[in-house]
Formats: sequence, C-alpha cells, structure tokens
Amino acid sequence: MFPHSLTAAELTAYYVKAYELMARGRSAIRASGLLAATLLVSLWLASVSQAQSAFDLAGRSVNPIAAASGKVVVLVFLRSDCPISNRYAPVIQKISAQFASDTSFWLVYPDRDESSQAVRKYVQDYGYHLPALRDPNHALVKLAQVQVTPEVAVFDRNHQLVYDGRIDNWYQDLARVRPAPTTHELADAIRAALTGKPVPKTDVRGVGCYISDLE
Amino acid sequence: MLVGGVIAGIFPFGDPVVEARPLARKAGQQVTFNRDIAPIIFHSCAICHHPGEAAPFPLLTYSDVKKHARQIAEVTRLRIMPPWLPEPQELKFADEMRLPDARIDLIQKWVEQGEAEGDPADLPPQPKFVEGWRLGTPDLILKAEKPLVLPPEGTDKYWNFIFHVPIDGTRWVKAVEIRPGDKRYVHHANILIDRTGSSRKREAEPGAGFGGMEIRIESQVFEPDSHLLFWKPGTVPYVEPEGMALGLDKGTDLILNTHLQPSGKQEIIEPSIGLYFTPHPATKLPMLLQLENDAKLDIPAGQKDFTVTDEFTLPVDVNLLAIYPHAHYLAQDIQAFATLPDRTRKTLIHISNWNLNWQAVYRYTEPVMLPKNTTVTLHYAYDNSDQNPLNPNHPPARVTGGNRSSDEMCHLWLQVLPVNFDPEQGDPRMLLQEALARHDVNNNPADFEAHYNLAAMLQARGKLEEAMQEYQAALGLQPDDPVANNGMGSALLSEGQADKAMPYLVAALKTRPDYFDAHYNLGNALASRNDFEGAAQQFRLALQSQPNDANAEANLGGALAEMGRFDEAKLHLERALQIDPHHSLARENLEELQREMKQR
Repeated sequence: MFPHSLTAAELTAYYVKAYELMARGRSAIRASGLLAATLLVSLWLASVSQAQSAFDLAGRSVNPIAAASGKVVVLVFLRSDCPISNRYAPVIQKISAQFASDTSFWLVYPDRDESSQAVRKYVQDYGYHLPALRDPNHALVKLAQVQVTPEVAVFDRNHQLVYDGRIDNWYQDLARVRPAPTTHELADAIRAALTGKPVPKTDVRGVGCYISDLE
Repeated sequence: MLVGGVIAGIFPFGDPVVEARPLARKAGQQVTFNRDIAPIIFHSCAICHHPGEAAPFPLLTYSDVKKHARQIAEVTRLRIMPPWLPEPQELKFADEMRLPDARIDLIQKWVEQGEAEGDPADLPPQPKFVEGWRLGTPDLILKAEKPLVLPPEGTDKYWNFIFHVPIDGTRWVKAVEIRPGDKRYVHHANILIDRTGSSRKREAEPGAGFGGMEIRIESQVFEPDSHLLFWKPGTVPYVEPEGMALGLDKGTDLILNTHLQPSGKQEIIEPSIGLYFTPHPATKLPMLLQLENDAKLDIPAGQKDFTVTDEFTLPVDVNLLAIYPHAHYLAQDIQAFATLPDRTRKTLIHISNWNLNWQAVYRYTEPVMLPKNTTVTLHYAYDNSDQNPLNPNHPPARVTGGNRSSDEMCHLWLQVLPVNFDPEQGDPRMLLQEALARHDVNNNPADFEAHYNLAAMLQARGKLEEAMQEYQAALGLQPDDPVANNGMGSALLSEGQADKAMPYLVAALKTRPDYFDAHYNLGNALASRNDFEGAAQQFRLALQSQPNDANAEANLGGALAEMGRFDEAKLHLERALQIDPHHSLARENLEELQREMKQR
C-alpha cells in the first residue's frame, strides 16, 4: 500500500531523475539504474516511515503501528477543545484497561495548534494513563482515514487497518446524546481483531468536532 | 453602577451596525471573512464563544473561525447552532438567536470557496464583553454554601442549591443575574422562591443542597409566582421596568435548580446569584400561569406519536409577557396558540424539534394582548419509540407524568399581566388563580390537591357553598387530611354553623395535634356555643404552637373575661396589644373589661 503522501507527481519526478542520470552516460547505465532503483526504494521507505510517524510529547518521531509487536493497535483521535472527546475519556480508559494485555492504545492529537505542553496537561486532567502523540502532519490521520474527534482506528496484528470510525453510538448527532450507547463498535472491532475474525463493516462516522485543516 | 437598559460597552443583541450591512452582493463575488462572515460570528456566536462562557472554544478572530470552519458550516446548516428552538412566527421574541437563511448560505459559500480572509479594512471591531457581573456589582451577592462535585461520567445530573437571602425586611428586586458556576457544564438553571423554608428539609445536611429535576415549593394560600428567573448559555440578565420589581420578604430562600452534564473529568460547580434592588415597589403585579396536563401522559412503550392537548380560557384581559414550555426527553413537537374572542388565532410558540438541553424562557418583544375569554391551547407530541435517541428507556417502556427525568411532562408557563381591571373589584390574579384551580380539577378529578386548592381559592373569595363542596370532594379522596378538615371546619364556622364545624376541626387535630389554625378555629367554635372554658383551652393550645399571635391572645382574653377571670383576661388582652398595637378587637375588649372591673 503506497503511503498517501507520495503522490503520483513525486513518483514521476523520481523516474524522470533516474532517466536523466541514465541519459548522461550510457557506460554508467547499469550502475545508474541500480543506483536509481536503490534511491527510489530508499526514498519510498523513508517516506513510508515518515508518513506513519507522529511525535511523542518530547518531540521524537514515533510510529505507533511499527512499534507494536504482534499486538492490536488502537489510535484514539482527540482534541482538547472538543467536549465530546472530553466526555469519552472515562469510556476510553475503561476500554483500554479491558483489553490492556493484548492491545496498544495511543491517544493522538491531530490539531496543529496543540503544543506538547497542552497535550500533557490534558492527559493529566482527564486521568489518562496512555501514551499520547501529536500528529500535526496528519500522517496518522490520513493513515487511519479519520475526520472527526473522537474517532478511532484499529490495526490488527499484521498492521492492517481493520476499523476506523466511532467508538459507539452514544451520540446520535451533535444535538442529541443517548442516556447510554446501545452499540459498541470499538470494543467489537478490537475483539474481532484479537481473534483474527473479520471486523463488522460499518460506514458510520463519529459524531464530534471536525479535525482542522483536513486535506 | 447599575443603569437601566443597555450600558454602553456591553455588546447587545441586535447590534444596529451589523443589521444595517447589506447582504446583497454581485454574483460571483468572493465571500470573505472580514467583510461577510465576521459580522455574523460577532453578532450570533461570540456571545457564548469567548473565554469564560459556555462554549468550548472562542470565535473571535479569523484564525479561530477558520480552525472550526467546516464544523461551523455544518452546525449552522442543521440549525444546531446558534441554539434557538422556536420556529419563526409573527409574535417575535426578544434576543432571538435564529440565523436567517441568507446568513447560513453565506457561511456555506465561504467554506466552499476556501475560507478567504479578505481585506483587513472590512473587518468590524471585535465585540467587547463585560467581565464579571454584566450589570455591574450587584447590591447583594449570594454564594452557594457548598459547591457540587460533578463526577466525571454518568447521565445528566439535576441539583438544587439553596441560597438564604439575608434581608431584614421586604426588598424590591429589579434584576437578577444567575452565575451558574462553570458555564461549560451547566445546561440551564432557574430560581424558585421558597417563602417558608420548606426546601431546607430536603437537604441531607445544612447547606448541602439536594437532588431532583423538578421541585415543588410548599406555598401559602395566595402568593402566586410572578417572574420567570432563568439562565441558559447566552442569557443576558433582564432589568424589569419600573413598577415590575419582584418583592422578596425576610426569611426567603432562593432555590437554584440546575441541569448539569458530566464532562469526562471531575468538575466543581459553585454558583452565585446577584440581586439588584430598586426603591420602587411593584405597582404592577404579573403572575405566572401554569398550564399542565400531566394527567393525560400515559405513553405506551414504542408509541411514536402520542399527543396531549389542553385548553384554558382566560377570565380577564391580560398582556402576555413571556412563555416557557417544558417537557422531558420524549417530547418532539410543542405548540401553543391563542384563539381570541373574535376567532383570530395567534401562534404563541412552536418548537418542532424539542430538545430539553436547549429549553428556555422566551420573552415577547411586545406584550401580547389577550382579551378576556381568549382560549389558550397547547398541543404537545411525544415519541416513546426506540427511534428517539433521547429515550431514557432502552428498550422503550411505558412513561407517565412525573418529576423524574424518566417521566414526562406537559407544562406551559405564561407570565401574564392583568390589564383593564378595576382595583375596586378585587385582585384580578385571584380570578385567574380560581380559573386555573377549576381547570386543574377538571383535568384531575381524582386529585386531592386540585380539589383542595380550588376550595381554598373559593373560600378566600367568599364563595363558601362552593368551597365546601370542594372540601368535601378533597376529603372524599383523603378523609384524614388535616388541612382539608380544617378548611371545611373554618368554612362552616364562617357560615355560623359551629356545631357542624366541630367534628371536622377535631378530626384535623387528631391527625395534627399542634395545628395552630385548627385549635384557633375550634376555640372560636366553642366560644360561639358559650363553652368558654373549652374555648380558652383551645386558645392556649394554639399559642403553644405559635406563641406570638395577637388574635389568639385577644380571643383567649375574651374567653377568660366571659368566665369572670378578669385579671387573667386583662393580661392576655394587654399581651395582644403588645404584639399588635392596632388590634381593634383587643382594644375594645380591654376597654369593656376595664369598665366591667371598675363596676365591681
């Protein structure tokens, strides 16, 4: 699967560059070709890892999918000025505790204006004991195909995206919230992923706050 | 300093500068934030979307708005924001927050076109907001004795804070500001006035407050509520015009009934209330009419369209000042209209997608004249199916009228001001109250309180025969009720039927031995049968439960005098005059007694 950030135009540019190299000296065709190929592959690999990268609160590049070794990975996208994200804090904590031994939960903050300090405070205020990432480049947002906070993405043990969307149906829409949810898509998806079963397909998106500057 | 009306510097609703800006533009001209969107945001959104207010993020600058642009386009298109439930109608409401269609379209276009900022010269000045109390420092600030700790999760919470009002005599309140504490977590709040301290009995410990979505205040016979004291996000405190102040007496408590929603982390809710006084007492007496038809609420599980209607005919001319519809989670479509004697019909309010979270009091921009014999009709529709996401029961269950959030309600409050009446003919509010009490009995024929309230009203208006019929009806439902028994006894006594009155008064005292009114009435009944010894005993018992009553002292003195115990009689008559120097009966009896004593 090609990472989203490597566009067709960029690929073409690399091929053009390789051709130019080849055109400069026929004697060096093979060497250039090999070089070009190596260049392409390494560039692709670099862009893959960068595209799947977000940053921990110390500013280090982190790839939560790659970091997981045989565990199911759950990314929870939040923003601190979203009251629905906030209300879900106890729910997320419960689910992460429930599946703690076999899953790797990450809180992901895609808003460009949220500093590490702000995220740290938020995590503390809401009593989270989960690792938090900032995703200002929307690398994880694009990977997970989320648009709204709170939304979640579940990756199975083979790093495949098997679910993206809402946590449950607690919110019908922005004006109406149920006394309690009656469907539990995130928990269902995690269970399915853990047992290697197919995750129930659903097109229902989360109710909440649009992630800013979505492309 | 408090100034009536709008103070310069406060950002009012209906900013005239914004209203005057023409919306017409050349076809194809780009929509920009500075010229086209900022005025809309500043007028309709910033009131809540600025720091310290109910909204979770500010909307004051281009960068603020761009950050939430897609969100704004969606919530305005769906009319979720700004929150305004009523449909547009001929009778306009003050502080209307409804966005006109043209402005919603502009916002959509702006987002579609890429959210351009535009020319800085076009940007209107940012609205200025008053920090702290909006009307300046209040004359009296009441603080919650104990804050409420709102837990991180759970369903909506309803909590009542009690505020003691430390005044030494009657004060006239021209404005009230409710500061609910953290505005992000309080959905709405309203104040009820408790003149007898009855609500304090509901606290687990003094100052703790108590839970409950709907509370009823025990009130004395005729002290009708007059003002709707309400807060929701965006509410600006209202200053009553001169003559319409709210009177608060010494010993009054204000109960702040709040609706809260957990936020995901623990929150501390610490409300306060600001009172602004005026030296001008009320000269006009508005009244709150409560129309309700909870008796008809018996909604089968799964029923999607259950309707309740009610009709009430006004016995006097009134000006309708404000309206407050109320229901719980199942209501969908709420309508009220008035049919005038000339058959014209006015829609008073219509909400087609009721949402309890956004309930509000709506004040009319102009009082609505409703002449005598106007019929007010309410028509509420409820959805008790599983398709209603707000249904408190999953799966749906049978729902009846009641106070809990899982019950339902069918209420409509009208703030009315009787007009065109002759004060010599009596208080028009009593006519209204009597009409409401009759209406209540018609709707609830098996309800003890409905019959009792009507009986008390009729007795107060001197309609004794009818009053007794209603007391009998009430006693038919609750034979041992002390207040109804005492009422019946006192009505019979007023008609000179002491013999018939006595069994009722005795029955009242059987259930409530320390009932002042019943002892007093029984004393009078015995005195009228010349049993002065028995009468004196009753007056003494009355004084045991309420010591400083001039009437009881005077009557005790009178009974003792009839028994020839002049020295004791003199003592009590003098005590009566001590308590009330203007007590004419005590004075007359004392003079008579002194003449009598001189002769002997």
